[in-house]
Amino acid sequence: MPKSSFIIIEKSYLIRKGLISLIDKIPNTQTIQQIDQTDDLKALKKFDADFVIINSNLIHKELIKTLMEASDTFQLILLSEDNDSVPGLSWVEKIDLNESHNSILKKLNNAVGNKINSQAKTSTPDEISDREADILRNIALGYSNKEIADKLFISTHTVVTHRKNITRKLGIKTVPGLTIYAILNKLINIDDQSKL
Amino acid sequence: MADVIHLNYFSLAVLNRFGIKLGFGDKTVDEVCKQYKVDVDFFLEIVNTFVDKDYFPKKHLQTFPVKLITDYLQKTHNDYHNIKVPEIEYLIEKMIDSCFTQKDNIVLLKKFFNDYKQELQNHTRREEEVVFPYTLAIEKAYNSDTIDKSVIELMETYSIEIFQNEHDNIEEKLFDLKNIIIKYLPQPKDLKLCNKLLHELFSLEQDLNDHARIEEKVLVPKIREMEQIITERFSGEKKNA
Ligand SMILES: [Fe+2]
Ligand SMILES: [Fe+2]
Repeated sequence: MPKSSFIIIEKSYLIRKGLISLIDKIPNTQTIQQIDQTDDLKALKKFDADFVIINSNLIHKELIKTLMEASDTFQLILLSEDNDSVPGLSWVEKIDLNESHNSILKKLNNAVGNKINSQAKTSTPDEISDREADILRNIALGYSNKEIADKLFISTHTVVTHRKNITRKLGIKTVPGLTIYAILNKLINIDDQSKL
Repeated sequence: MADVIHLNYFSLAVLNRFGIKLGFGDKTVDEVCKQYKVDVDFFLEIVNTFVDKDYFPKKHLQTFPVKLITDYLQKTHNDYHNIKVPEIEYLIEKMIDSCFTQKDNIVLLKKFFNDYKQELQNHTRREEEVVFPYTLAIEKAYNSDTIDKSVIELMETYSIEIFQNEHDNIEEKLFDLKNIIIKYLPQPKDLKLCNKLLHELFSLEQDLNDHARIEEKVLVPKIREMEQIITERFSGEKKNA
């Protein structure tokens, strides 16, 4: 099962540390990035986090736009003192800074639990489907997204979605890495490809 | 200084990079740094960020001279090419030698890592040939009394913004390699070798992370600020002339 990953956007060092220690208590989770000011948000595009925890004080117009654009890749958890909501954004959980240890832990657990359930519906998480195997074979053979789309009579967008799922399931991001996987699992022959 | 290593032996790598050799007896960090003409403050911040990934005083790190920062980055590059990469290559080679059932698979890993090595070399070469000299030139201009037109021209051909955008995530392929070994490679006979290889890959990945963090969060913002001030000063001087 893939780990649930968190990014924390919060100014206070103490609060960040506290959140990390709470997240550590939940099995199969990790904090992959801490951000103490919003101009470091380049990281949000770079990392595929499952959850972004953000302090309401740090939210501004531009950030809302960034978050909305990227929001299909992660879920948001709000950190605030007064529980006010932010227009345009939806939160899986809201954590109050004055909340007790147990209640915060429960909310984090809920968020992580929701994610696992929604994944469980789409067959077994780690195994790739026949269609994905098809796509993977073509990636390993060196074809581009566009070429694969034409070959299989699907849209490039669909190919990209499949690729994302493959990467998530296998934990392999790069083409050379996927190629080795394809060879190890006999999806293609070593002699089939020359690009590696 | 001995305590620094006892506290966390990963700091050994940093000592190496500053050219500090073991055998310093009971000398303090301060004394050893003086002996090797190393800036104590800078040394301490680098050691601390290296051993604790949560500790990163970027504002303070940005106050050190560019030359100190790029020298350290440069030495780290050398470490990768002269120590870390060859060690990994050696381990993969030994795995190929000791394995009879899946030589082909491990040869694949070898090819993969070889490509990676090329990529890493291109990455560091670009920094050494283009980026570091540029940052030093900017600092020199920043510290001089008047802004020479040549610097403004230089800034028109390159900028730290360009570096920030072209600076790619060199750890990604290592991550894949680790995952392939952990999750998908049929277990080789020699588990000890395989574990050692993984250990080296993890260590290189972490080191690269730490390294890129200094580049992106210390060097880039520092130079960006200098660029701004240089531009402002230049237009100010033009008005007065
Ligand atoms: Fe570098
Ligand atoms: Fe770099």
